[in-house]
Amino acid sequence: MSLFKLFFLFFVFVSTLFAYPNYSDSLKSKKIYPMGKKIFQKKCADINVNNYKSYDALVDAIKNTKGCRKLKSSYQEALALYLWDVQREAKVVEKKYPSLAVSHKEKCPICGMFLYKYPRWVSMIEYKEGKKVYFDGMKDLFKYYFKHKKDIKGIYTRAYYTQETIDAKDAYYVIGSDVYGPMGHELIGFKDKKGAKQFLFDHRGKTVVRFDDVTAAMVHKLDE
Amino acid sequence: MNKINFYLLEYAYSYIVRHKNKNIFIVTVFTLLVALLSTLFFITSSLQYELKERISNQSDIVIQNYKAGMPAAIDTALLDKLLEIEGITAGKLEVKGKYYFSQKKSTFYLLGVDAFEMQDDPLIVKLLDQYDLSDSEMLVSKNVKDVMNQAYYKEYFNFIKPDGSLQKVTIKAAFDVGNRVELKNLIIMSKDTLRKIFGYSANKGSDIALSVANKNELDFISSKIRLLLPNAKVTSKDDLLLEYDRLFDYDSGVFLSLFVIALFTFFIIIYDKANGLSSEEKREIGILKAIGWCVEDVLHAKFYEASLLSFFAFTLGIAIAFVYVFVFKAPLLGAIFTHENMLDIQNFQLNVHIELSYILLIFLLSVPVYIAATLIPSWRVATLDADEVMR
Repeated sequence: MSLFKLFFLFFVFVSTLFAYPNYSDSLKSKKIYPMGKKIFQKKCADINVNNYKSYDALVDAIKNTKGCRKLKSSYQEALALYLWDVQREAKVVEKKYPSLAVSHKEKCPICGMFLYKYPRWVSMIEYKEGKKVYFDGMKDLFKYYFKHKKDIKGIYTRAYYTQETIDAKDAYYVIGSDVYGPMGHELIGFKDKKGAKQFLFDHRGKTVVRFDDVTAAMVHKLDE
Repeated sequence: MNKINFYLLEYAYSYIVRHKNKNIFIVTVFTLLVALLSTLFFITSSLQYELKERISNQSDIVIQNYKAGMPAAIDTALLDKLLEIEGITAGKLEVKGKYYFSQKKSTFYLLGVDAFEMQDDPLIVKLLDQYDLSDSEMLVSKNVKDVMNQAYYKEYFNFIKPDGSLQKVTIKAAFDVGNRVELKNLIIMSKDTLRKIFGYSANKGSDIALSVANKNELDFISSKIRLLLPNAKVTSKDDLLLEYDRLFDYDSGVFLSLFVIALFTFFIIIYDKANGLSSEEKREIGILKAIGWCVEDVLHAKFYEASLLSFFAFTLGIAIAFVYVFVFKAPLLGAIFTHENMLDIQNFQLNVHIELSYILLIFLLSVPVYIAATLIPSWRVATLDADEVMR
């Protein structure tokens, strides 16, 4: 028993050694990072996160910098977390995606429907010679993709929950849910597996698939 | 279609002038009817448009805590729990409420803001970019500034806290709300100061506002929150739209009854007119036939006469309604839309927003009906022989 206690105490001790606060991912991305970003832009734009080796050093620096010293501790923490998690890793993570805004004339090459009426469902294939083809959903995109696979520069779609543009090849797709796109049953895209699983559960989806697992038979079955 | 026959038009005009008394009566009734109906439609379409604009500036989902059937303070910890739900993209704890300034008998609308949080209202975003608020300062609208000046509060204002002590807040600047009349009594200050004024403890607020990126999910997410928090009142943007629609349905019912009565009166006059011409009018048609006019010419002249009258009355009616609603702001009839705490015509600008379909409806209900009511009895008389008519 005492050994167990010691073991437990060891963990408590270790966890308090690192000041890095323990928030859930969604709380960070929905509340803390946006707040930290605003604070960074408005108050402390002169802090360079790459100068600091550890999170603690960064927090100390924030507490000693002129613009940020007077901020409330919760603001300082949000700023530190934003700098540490988002800016420090920006070199790896941040990608620029082309916008999925379409003109009033743009039509889907598969079904011929106008796209501006369904901005939430617009997906796009960009070819190397610069041609961009827009679709009203991933189902039509796949139908086109299976026939025109060559010289593709990138494929983009919108994440269902956040409505941000994502790389279609990295997305998770839910099939068979009770949410319909403009052309009926759809492959609905998600940025992460957690979102896709939650959607599957909420909207009675059948399976979660990756981009490379999607077959022509699967896509045509959605139309039945 | 033939070209307009100006001789017949001239004849129609002189006919109208000759029967001055009768035609003035018809024009008056016609104009009043059109003015009444279009007033009602102008008010509804303008109000509805403005309400939709207002709703579009609000948060997607608002959650209020209820205790004993009354809105009560809500805890911050709840926000962190709600942000875990997939589909909610941002959220904030709001501190806001009303403050009654008894000296001047006016109610201020107090809003606590955090410059680093998400904001839904474009006006607030603009103000927060412009001013850097400290904890002891506030921004007030021009209207509030005037009210405070009348009570000799020029530099600062003393709010009375629930325990009776005073909270002094400096006026940093006054802002113009433009055409956002609903914000004319707005005061903006930091959340912590407002918590002191309302007597909330540090981690409490008045409600939680969430934003949902995909509007398709709005219903599903709000029902999910309702299951999660059975005591809370969850209002989504869709709910608000529905609620206002229902309100307008009720008012439109009141309108409809007015509308029906007005139309009924109009049709009685039309029926009376269609049922028979006066002997004088009959004689006139008989004379025209006797000097060689054919049936077609008589009907042509009558058509011009009716069109001139009804178009004149219609445009006059629409113009009167336009001036009454959008220039004078609908003094009496607007009161139909005054509801306790929900809608107040005084809080609306009644901006010019007209739905052409309504005008078309009024046009089709009045002008063609009147023309038909003039033509049919004339045609009946005109087909008879001249001597038979004049006998």
